[in-house]
Amino acid sequence: MAALYRLALCNIRGYSFRSWVVGLCALLISGLVLATSLILLGAESSLRLAIDRLGADIIVVPEGAATRVETALLMGRPTKVWMPASALDTVAAIPGVEAVSPQVYLASLTNASCCTVSDMFLIVFDPKTDFVVKPWLEKTIGGNLQLGDVIGGSSVYVPEEGIKLYGYYLNLRKNLAPTGTGLDQSLFMTMDTAQEMRRVSLTEAVQPLEIPTNSISAVLVKLKPGANVYAVALEISDRDRTITPIVSPDMFQSYQGQLKGLLGGVLVMIVIILAFSMLLIGLVFSMAANERRRELGVLRAMGASRGFVFRSLVMEAALLAINGGIAGVLLTFLILTLFRNLIISILGMPFLLPSLPVLILLVVGVICLSLVIVVLAASLPAYRISHLDPSIAMRE
Amino acid sequence: MIVLDKVSKIYPISKENQVAAVQDINLEIPMGEFLVITGRSGSGKTTLLNLAAGLTRPTSGRVLFEGVDWWSLPDREQSLTRNQKIGFVFQFPSLLPALTVLENIALPTIINHSQDFQEIYPRAVKLVETLGLSDKRSSYPRQLSAGQQQRVVIARALLNQPAVLLADEPTSNLDEQTELEIMELFAEIHQRTGITIVLVTHSAQLVRFGTQSVQMAVGQVVTKQT
Ligand SMILES: Nc1ncnc2c1ncn2[C@@H]1O[C@H](COP(=O)(O)OP(=O)(O)OP(=O)(O)O)[C@@H](O)[C@H]1O
Ligand SMILES: [Mg+2]
Repeated sequence: MAALYRLALCNIRGYSFRSWVVGLCALLISGLVLATSLILLGAESSLRLAIDRLGADIIVVPEGAATRVETALLMGRPTKVWMPASALDTVAAIPGVEAVSPQVYLASLTNASCCTVSDMFLIVFDPKTDFVVKPWLEKTIGGNLQLGDVIGGSSVYVPEEGIKLYGYYLNLRKNLAPTGTGLDQSLFMTMDTAQEMRRVSLTEAVQPLEIPTNSISAVLVKLKPGANVYAVALEISDRDRTITPIVSPDMFQSYQGQLKGLLGGVLVMIVIILAFSMLLIGLVFSMAANERRRELGVLRAMGASRGFVFRSLVMEAALLAINGGIAGVLLTFLILTLFRNLIISILGMPFLLPSLPVLILLVVGVICLSLVIVVLAASLPAYRISHLDPSIAMRE
Repeated sequence: MIVLDKVSKIYPISKENQVAAVQDINLEIPMGEFLVITGRSGSGKTTLLNLAAGLTRPTSGRVLFEGVDWWSLPDREQSLTRNQKIGFVFQFPSLLPALTVLENIALPTIINHSQDFQEIYPRAVKLVETLGLSDKRSSYPRQLSAGQQQRVVIARALLNQPAVLLADEPTSNLDEQTELEIMELFAEIHQRTGITIVLVTHSAQLVRFGTQSVQMAVGQVVTKQT
């Protein structure tokens, strides 16, 4: 086996064009399959995590604002939507509802001198009724947010001057765990802090922060155990035509649909690319094997069995596949880390890298895949050449 | 002993036409002989050598190597016999370009994985020395002259200490002086080791190096000399 390996290595060295093509195909296969599964799996788990993070069974938003709110929550693209605060009571009165809590969605200004962070999505909650942020706060900082305190998504950091929005300095108490979604770039604050920021903005900001009185952006709804989400949602839209309930299993539905569409397209593309690379590898391999007919005939004359010739050719293919496969994996990780934001904005969807065991499984899986594809593609030409009459193989 | 018993090798060329590269040949090559086969181009010399080594199946007749019909053996055993018993020197450049001189010489043992490179290394080095290539052992074939390359091929053929050395026009690419040197090398190896040599050439002048000779024409043996 060691000798076979050495011979294969020497031949890889000696036939560089063939080696590059086969290696690049293996790279393409492993890289592409890894990248797409990372992105698709990652998008899926991002969506699920974002739903969990919201922690509500139903989110009620103004009519027609559902998509904008979902986009804001998922991509961190700020949105301002308003509905009368009375919606809170309407929803609370529905049987099956255990708790309701309002949220107000704000945005920081774009490139204004008052602000050190621009275009940030701000989520304002009401500590008196909140059931989403508060339990988490108690667990991590052991209490409530004071006036001026904020909680940041995982990628919120404090610039040198401090976080200043609308001329008002905020104090970052804690970062949330990453979700891969826009929530990672959002700030959570209490109503009091938001009102204080509004007051300061009247004199300090280029443009004052507007929070319409008696208005809210969303109502988070928690149901009693056993209550039917869909029945309650139906009741909500029945009682008030100007508001829209989004039930959490259906949350980000357009994204989930998009994901399914993407998955289908990508699968087709991968199958085409796999078939194409198999063809290409088979072609290049039989070309190279043909070129080496005489050399392989010489090996046979020196006492190499058909099996030896076959194995040494397949061994070459396998070595190329493994090296190409590993290169593809490394390249994928490099690209995904360097261009993560670009990919997210092109895709219009966030993605979260999976946990280490899943990651290792994926990496091993794609390397095996390129190994199998390359070896399969090389097998037929290798078999044909190894079964050629050596005396014919040695003739030009 | 190699025995060809009414051996023919016929190649189809088209639906109607076929070529008898070798036709009804009866030939016995006793052990320890240095047989020189001459004949014009296309007379079937290479085909005869390939048949003798079991590299191609005769269309009819039998080829016996040490009393065993080549074609009664499965591929593995054929290959093992070739590896252990036969050394080949080819008509064309046959060194693997990707391997160094020493690696090329070691190839027969790489193929038959019963031996380790480490084990045969001293033997390979010794052969390199005997054939005057000591300073070339790490060179690649393209860095050698044609004569030097042919010496490497001979060293490779001798590595497994075979019983038979089959040489197909080993000097056809060489100048006269080098040709003589290589032929003397064959004669010297034959004398020293008692190895059986079957050497093909189209030059009648080289017959004197052998202990026997046969002449071929259009697929048949026309004269034998001892
Ligand atoms: N694979 C083959 N297919 C068709 N014809 C073949 C094949 N191999 C050999 N021949 C024919 O058989 C005849 C003998 O060929 P062979 O190579 O044995 O001749 P040779 O004596 O070695 O010639 P040279 O001195 O040129 O090497 C030639 O006419 C050749 O064209
Ligand atoms: Mg010939």
